[in-house]
Amino acid sequence: MSTILTVEGVTAGYGDATVLFDVSCTVAAGEIVAVVGANGAGKTTLLSAIAGLVPARAGRITFRGEDITGRPAHWRPGHGLALVAEGGRLFPFMTVEENLLLGAYAPRGRAILKERLEEVMAVFPILRERREQAAGKLSGGERQMVAIARALMCRPDLLMLDEPSVGLSPLMVGRVFEIVERLARRDGLTVILVEQNVTEALAVADRAYVLDHGHITRAGAAAVLRGEREIQEAYMGV
Amino acid sequence: MADLANILAVGILLGGTYALVSVGLNLIFGVIRVVNFAQGEFVMLGMYGAYAAYAVLGLDPAVALLVVLPALFVLGAALQRLVLARLRTEPTMQIFATFGLLMLIENAVLAATRGTAYSVPSAVAQASLSVGGVQVGASRLLALAAATLAAAGLGLFLRRTMLGRAIRAVAQDSAAARLMGVDVERIYWLTFGIGTALAGLAGCLLAPIYSLSPQIGTSFILPAFAVVVLGGLGSVLGAYVGGFIVGLTEAFAGYYLDPALKHAVLFAVFIGVLIVRPSGLFGQVGAEEVGLREQS
Amino acid sequence: MSNPEMAIPITRAPPVAAATAARAPLRTFWGELPRALLLLAGLAALVYAASGDNFSLNILASSFLFAGLASAWNIIGGFGGQFSLAHSVFFAVGAYTTANLYLKLGLSPWLGLVPAFLLAAAVAMLVSWPVFRLRGPFFAIATMAFTEVALAIGNYAEWLTGGTRGLSIPFRLGVGNMIFRDRMSYALLMLGFCALTLIVVVAVHRSRLGYYLQAVRDNEQAARASGVSVLRVKLTGMAISAGLTGIGGGLFFMQVRVADPAALLSLFDFGVKFALIALIGGLGSVYGPVLGALVIIPLESWLRAELGGLLPGANLIVLSLLLIGAALFMKHGIVGLGRGLAARVAAGRSTGDRA
Repeated sequence: MSTILTVEGVTAGYGDATVLFDVSCTVAAGEIVAVVGANGAGKTTLLSAIAGLVPARAGRITFRGEDITGRPAHWRPGHGLALVAEGGRLFPFMTVEENLLLGAYAPRGRAILKERLEEVMAVFPILRERREQAAGKLSGGERQMVAIARALMCRPDLLMLDEPSVGLSPLMVGRVFEIVERLARRDGLTVILVEQNVTEALAVADRAYVLDHGHITRAGAAAVLRGEREIQEAYMGV
Repeated sequence: MADLANILAVGILLGGTYALVSVGLNLIFGVIRVVNFAQGEFVMLGMYGAYAAYAVLGLDPAVALLVVLPALFVLGAALQRLVLARLRTEPTMQIFATFGLLMLIENAVLAATRGTAYSVPSAVAQASLSVGGVQVGASRLLALAAATLAAAGLGLFLRRTMLGRAIRAVAQDSAAARLMGVDVERIYWLTFGIGTALAGLAGCLLAPIYSLSPQIGTSFILPAFAVVVLGGLGSVLGAYVGGFIVGLTEAFAGYYLDPALKHAVLFAVFIGVLIVRPSGLFGQVGAEEVGLREQS
Repeated sequence: MSNPEMAIPITRAPPVAAATAARAPLRTFWGELPRALLLLAGLAALVYAASGDNFSLNILASSFLFAGLASAWNIIGGFGGQFSLAHSVFFAVGAYTTANLYLKLGLSPWLGLVPAFLLAAAVAMLVSWPVFRLRGPFFAIATMAFTEVALAIGNYAEWLTGGTRGLSIPFRLGVGNMIFRDRMSYALLMLGFCALTLIVVVAVHRSRLGYYLQAVRDNEQAARASGVSVLRVKLTGMAISAGLTGIGGGLFFMQVRVADPAALLSLFDFGVKFALIALIGGLGSVYGPVLGALVIIPLESWLRAELGGLLPGANLIVLSLLLIGAALFMKHGIVGLGRGLAARVAAGRSTGDRA
């Protein structure tokens, strides 16, 4: 399996504050990598840095062999990298369909728009039902579905999800993870999954990183980390 | 009764004027969250542009549009890109800069024209129609029609095209828009340019109605602001309807009270609405930015 | 090009404190007063140095007047971050109060300055109370609208303002009438006004009000959450600012003795100029507006002399370019430049190995 994403020594933050300190990780094509940690550990910042929303003050990000550290955020979707932000960040005054159409804004998406819309609605039947509804009126679970569908509109190679389970009922959480797994296993999509819900995350991931106060403290196969006492006590409420 | 019809006619026609002037301002507010103090100056430039097109090329204002609109689009886009873009994170400096632009444009035109008063004749200007027993100037009617067309056109553009959706997306959540692949900085100058071009449209069509002076810009900015706040930020329909509310208010105030006080009345009504209904009449996207939802 | 402002997390890092003044070493009012008095003494020396030179004395008088007016504006506009374009109204209120009390009731203008202060402050509080809920530029436009309304009312209320013909004060010499023959007296009078405002500014800056004003400016939500009564703070700051502006208006009217509403309420000549001077000098700093006035007023006078004849409005073109340029490149004004220079010198001295 080839490496699709490399993060090397990235330091990032907001204003005067530094949140990530010299963080490095890699993701191989087709795998599901989980990044877990407590609130405020820097998980969202990591995804934002990879997505280009937050500048890396030091370090390098390489995607499919290309150094993308300096590229603007809006370059990503057109070149195979998509992020589903925390809470989905749908456009509240636009309909579900309009949100999906925007997911295909980049040239890569526009070329395949019609068929992609059909494909995505096949994966998420809810989209067809709620097509004309304003995104702001949807429930938490529905919003998450739409957000993931929207991110898929450009047929990304790497999909990043920021805490997709937040605010969702256990049933919905199960559904979301089920879909994520299917996308990775069946369709070959590479996934980075940031989660506070460590149990679920480690259950579905191949490998995982533990982020603590901006530093990577543990890394390894999910199966291994799952069994480790420290992890269980610190994060899984055991 | 005839009086009432007359007042209504004046109000609606005035409303059309304000709607035309405000639609661009509203777009800029809603998307870029910048208060373009110089918006009225672009209307004034549109007027003088119409005059220049007439004086130099013999063009009727309706035709001069073809030259004036692109010119003001470019000017507006350039100003946003070169001046305002740098001040994205400095709202106070934005006020200084856009007010500086207001002063600059007004006085540049003053210097260029040396205070000569101009007027622009138009094929339509002299004509007037009789609508339901009320005399209505054709130029104002044309302005009303243009306002409606512009609002409708803008609405369609925003709803049906990818670029239009991108603009709406930026207005609602610019970070999320970036994630969709939208070049937000480009949307900013595009939108600003569209806003100033719309102001130019208003100027061109209003040139036959008003006598040109460099100071006329400031007499538009305040009613335009009232329109936008009352009608709702980012809502094209809101700006359109708001224009009529303001126009009718002015017409009634001008008739029943002293015409000199009509702006005072408008201001009082405007403040009243803010106190009673803090989210404006249409309560749209961006109202928090205005501070309308806050209570002290 | 990405930007921290665009970052996704909902809780952002708190905004970096912008006020250069907030970073100044904490001094009490009495600690700061000697510095202020020293500056004023220097300005007084300027007046005496210009003795006999009427042209220079006029410019000094005008500079001191605007120094005071800009300092007053700075209380609410700089410390408080509330960009008011209505200060020409308070200026006019003060002017008409003093003038009318003098003309109609024979009240000495010196005494008339007190009602000028009070009335201007009252009007300001009344008008800004409903609009203080508006943020930044929207507050600015609302105050701009108010200025326009005031102009309409001013032209209408002829009994008060003389309508469009204006009001004039007969030339009757006498200290009691605040009418002098020599220019030096006016320069000293305006210096007195500048001194008054500067001392009030220092007092506000070192007081709890000043602290709250800056807190509200930097992060209104956080201030409110900490229990600051935001509206009360804004109103108090506005009242003091407007009152002082009113005094300036009274003094101005007694000096020019003729004015109409359009002149007094002019945004370009007064309203925006207060803000421009504060910006150039140093928004939110204590001495900035004074320094700004000493730069802008003589410059403007020179511009008007050189360019005013050439092209109408040319001097305003230069001022507007200055305004835009300052907003873009010099947002901390002269004071900011000075601080930056001082910091660099200090850094060089401490590392020791700078050339």
